[in-house]
Amino acid sequence: MVDSKHKWKAWLFLSPSLVLLAVFTVWPIINTMIMAFSEGYSQMYALAGKSFQFGLGNFEFVAQYPKFIQYLKTTVLLCVLTVPISTILALLIAVALNSIKPLRKVLQTIYFLPYVTNSIAIGLVFSAMFNVIGNVSATNAQIESYGIINNILMAITGDKWINWINAGSPYWANITVMVIYIVWNALPFKILILLGGLQSVNKQYYDAAKVDGTSKARVLMRITVPLLSPMITYVVITGFMGGFKEYSSIVGIFGADMGPTGNPDAMNTIVGYVYDSLAANQEGLASAAALILFAIILAVTLINLQISKRNTHY
Amino acid sequence: MAKIVTMHERDIEKTSRIQTVRSILGTIMKYAFLLLVAVAVLFPFYWMINSSLKTLAEYKRTVPTFWPEQVMWTNYLAVFESGELGELFGYTLQIGLISTVASLVLTILTAFVFARLEFKGKNVLFAGLLATMMIPGELFTISNYTTVTQLGMITNDSVLIVPFLVSVFYVYLLRQNFMQIPNELYLAAKVDGTSDLKYLWKVMIPLALPTIISITILKMMGAWNSYIWPQLVEPQLGKSLITNGLLRMGFQDASGQTDFPKQMAAVALVSAPLFAVFIFFRKYIMKGVSRSGIKG
Amino acid sequence: MKVVLENLTKVFPSRNKKAGGEVIAVNNFSFEIPDGKLIGLLGPSGCGKSTTLYMISGLQKPTSGKIFFGDDDITELTPENRGVGLVFQNYALYPHMTVKQNILFPLQNLKGADKLSKEVMLQRAYEAAKLVQIDELMERKPSELSGGQQQRVAIARALVKMPRVLLLDEPLSNLDARLRLQTREEIRRIQRETKITTIFVTHDQEEAMSISDMIVVMKLGVVQQIGAPQDVYDSPENLFVAKFLGTPPINVFDGTIKGGKVYIGEDAVLDAPGVEDQEVYVGVRPEGFELAEDGAFHCKLRSVEVMGRDVSIVSENACALTPVIRSIINADNKVDSSKEEVCFNLKAHKTFVFAKEKVTWSTAEEGKTLYNFNKGAQTLNAVYGAKTYELGTLLTDEDIAKLEKQAKQSLSPVAKFFVKQGKKILATAQAKVAPAVEFVQNIIPEKPALTGEITYKLAMGKNKDGETLYFAGGVDNARLCVTSDINLAVDLHAELITKNVEITKGKDTKSKTIVEGYHVYYLEGDKKVYPELNVANGENHEKRIFL
Repeated sequence: MVDSKHKWKAWLFLSPSLVLLAVFTVWPIINTMIMAFSEGYSQMYALAGKSFQFGLGNFEFVAQYPKFIQYLKTTVLLCVLTVPISTILALLIAVALNSIKPLRKVLQTIYFLPYVTNSIAIGLVFSAMFNVIGNVSATNAQIESYGIINNILMAITGDKWINWINAGSPYWANITVMVIYIVWNALPFKILILLGGLQSVNKQYYDAAKVDGTSKARVLMRITVPLLSPMITYVVITGFMGGFKEYSSIVGIFGADMGPTGNPDAMNTIVGYVYDSLAANQEGLASAAALILFAIILAVTLINLQISKRNTHY
Repeated sequence: MAKIVTMHERDIEKTSRIQTVRSILGTIMKYAFLLLVAVAVLFPFYWMINSSLKTLAEYKRTVPTFWPEQVMWTNYLAVFESGELGELFGYTLQIGLISTVASLVLTILTAFVFARLEFKGKNVLFAGLLATMMIPGELFTISNYTTVTQLGMITNDSVLIVPFLVSVFYVYLLRQNFMQIPNELYLAAKVDGTSDLKYLWKVMIPLALPTIISITILKMMGAWNSYIWPQLVEPQLGKSLITNGLLRMGFQDASGQTDFPKQMAAVALVSAPLFAVFIFFRKYIMKGVSRSGIKG
Repeated sequence: MKVVLENLTKVFPSRNKKAGGEVIAVNNFSFEIPDGKLIGLLGPSGCGKSTTLYMISGLQKPTSGKIFFGDDDITELTPENRGVGLVFQNYALYPHMTVKQNILFPLQNLKGADKLSKEVMLQRAYEAAKLVQIDELMERKPSELSGGQQQRVAIARALVKMPRVLLLDEPLSNLDARLRLQTREEIRRIQRETKITTIFVTHDQEEAMSISDMIVVMKLGVVQQIGAPQDVYDSPENLFVAKFLGTPPINVFDGTIKGGKVYIGEDAVLDAPGVEDQEVYVGVRPEGFELAEDGAFHCKLRSVEVMGRDVSIVSENACALTPVIRSIINADNKVDSSKEEVCFNLKAHKTFVFAKEKVTWSTAEEGKTLYNFNKGAQTLNAVYGAKTYELGTLLTDEDIAKLEKQAKQSLSPVAKFFVKQGKKILATAQAKVAPAVEFVQNIIPEKPALTGEITYKLAMGKNKDGETLYFAGGVDNARLCVTSDINLAVDLHAELITKNVEITKGKDTKSKTIVEGYHVYYLEGDKKVYPELNVANGENHEKRIFL
């Protein structure tokens, strides 16, 4: 490091960034705290001169608000389903990909494609694939088009079809659609990281295992997974971080109503609640919910780190 | 050591056969799995294009067609000519370019200061900035929304640019890259009387170019894909970026039914630039992503 | 278990993809390894010894040829079905398992009829551990062990399944000098006790000679000589083998055979009855010199180094290929170090004469000889445009390997830059970074110079004697061509020399193009002129002439 003679220069270079960071990064942290602990805070009223009482009222309200609890359940359910599925799938794909030569580059590129998409735009495509056109009510169904997914399902099972996302669709069907879309979206990043990890593993471990006649499954469980554990931890943690903040992908599928027609908010999440509150000029509640979200993510991350520490011994 | 027993009794021919069959079967299964995944990954894209080229009547058939009987290129034309999409493209591109350029300048300067210059409190300041990376973005959005309202920015274009100009993460990424350039080079430059900025321009930027390209592309893609913030400020701003614009358009025909083929054509048009960038900058995108783990 | 190699050949695709072609790593290797012996595969890096070992293990498949264990043809078998134990150069111990788990691992893989009970596995693991004396360390992790201990664990892991053949890849190269001596004795002992046919690979001739029953000397994929260590040392079949074995190394002189006598310069040093007149190399082992007042061989005395039992006389001779001649004689012979000249008689059984045949692909032109130049550290200046860049020290193969490793660990983007852009010709990254970066950046428009394509531009260097040499960097394997003629160097190009060979695998015979070496040429007008250049893959030069 070099001691610059002109210290003012450093500050000069820094000043624009520091001003922006102060306003849009540091202040929000303080401001969010203030808003969260000002009971019933709303900027509109604040500007009109109203003052707010300091207290835990926002948190109490959010924690008891049945819709928020429902959103929290949906969020957790999506996380718990998508993170393991996408991680295991990505691991299998990465391992298979790492063991082939012809087509590897092409497949790798294909698998990465979902990453470079607009999650709202492609959400519309998924939505179209699951969408049933016509009257789907159970008593008097008159269907024009079942949607390509149902067409495939009917080709396999005979005549079964499912109301995935249309009016009257069940919760589990909505969740299934979301899980499929989120996993599809999450795979590229996980494959990329895990494949990178695999490629940095010394090939000689695999050669040694080969000479010793180790079965493929055993190599995966006893060598690959332990050696990849730092990457797996990373992928799981970022997966949970993303999962708890799930929002845009749901908008992509279900639209801004966050649910099938006639049942808005059925798929809403914590982040959705934050923005809904914000749009309703309830900044206090939004802040409280955001802090709760932060606490959850922090806790899950710490737990993950703890678990991985116990399982990584080198 | 005991006598060696493991190998002698084995029938070489038979072992050899079993081993060949196994390895062939294994390879077939591996490829089958990988190709199946590839099909699953590609299917939505195929379906998007397939649907976008159909007439609404063909789209709504109970037995779907896997390639349109009548290829309707006009869907694309219609979507583009309906006015809004072209406007959205232009506006989003404009916002994306301005914010990317401005953001690059600030990021490079900031990273350079933190990597090379020395002043009191630098390390504390940097550590403080890093700590903010742990906080989910939603938390900033709330307050930033109230801030831009108060500052009156919410009614002009700057609201889409200014709040996101400096990303601590990109600063961090670039600083790490700058730090790896041997200090010796900087000393040599100082001895020669090279100014800091010239050194930055002549040595550091060329050496860190791959990272800078990665940041540029990710930032552009970020602007293209951003949804939440534009959606929040849209009512006051009165303008949309491409993503929330797309969602708003709705594509209803006269009878109030969604015209799916047109919608899919619009989605394809929105996705096309992303794919184009991906094809040309695959290496940089993948490298940047593997180091950042963030989308846009 | 005897191991038989029959016409074993391995061809790799060339690393230089654009140029195409292939490189023969191992060429037509036939050898029968007797049961229960310890065999050393010996040669400089890139000679194909590791490839041979990997082919025996089954990790690499031979392009053609066969491998037998006993009477069984195991060429097509996968490694696990061969019953080999392999110890890797860096041991490849699983870092997340304890020593015990590492040693147990191969046993737990056994299936079907071979499956062992837990008790038997443990018992065998402890037996193997005891054999290599690490039974006290069973609960530790590899990271908690010293290099020597890790090495033993690796051997135990290879031995525990009682392999038919034990293979060791550079087993001592990661140990320090003291441990190396100790461990090589250990390997000898373990091999004697287990009587498992053992093949090990090394580039250290002393290591191979000291413990092997037999050594195989290889160079560029071709076996040069096979035999008991002493026999190979006493009777090398070509100059390469003579130079490769022995410390201090053999002294080599330009010589001639004229009228039944061997001459070094004007001195007739040996009789060579019945050998036709020709240019030769004369190699004399350090212990092959006999002090004699009236000795036939005259050298300029430089210094005398006393080593106790022996003295080492350092002298010079105009015909020597090395700057100094080193001779070791019994200390009973008093040497007057004040004298200008020293005279020797040469012992016939320690002196070898080699034919001076070079494989050349072209006409030589006087005064424009180029040498194949890729070893030894040289100072490197690069000239580009009007500017000279002092880059530091020329990279040797080992430096490049080190640099590559460094770059992999992503220590420095500059190191990466070097490896990517210019590993074939550039300087050490540490010493002179600034000019090197500038050089690389300036030279980038001239991509051919840096990307391993066939043409390269100029660089300039000084050799150890301070003489300025200009050179063009090589295509593959960091070959550098050196000339003292700057005009020539400026125009230097290289092209691949390829050969079509037929490779038989099973019933199929395929014709493949193989890279044999590189042809360096310069242009005179439109005419390509090929200076004499000694580049070859796998040719056997400088055969010994038996007197």
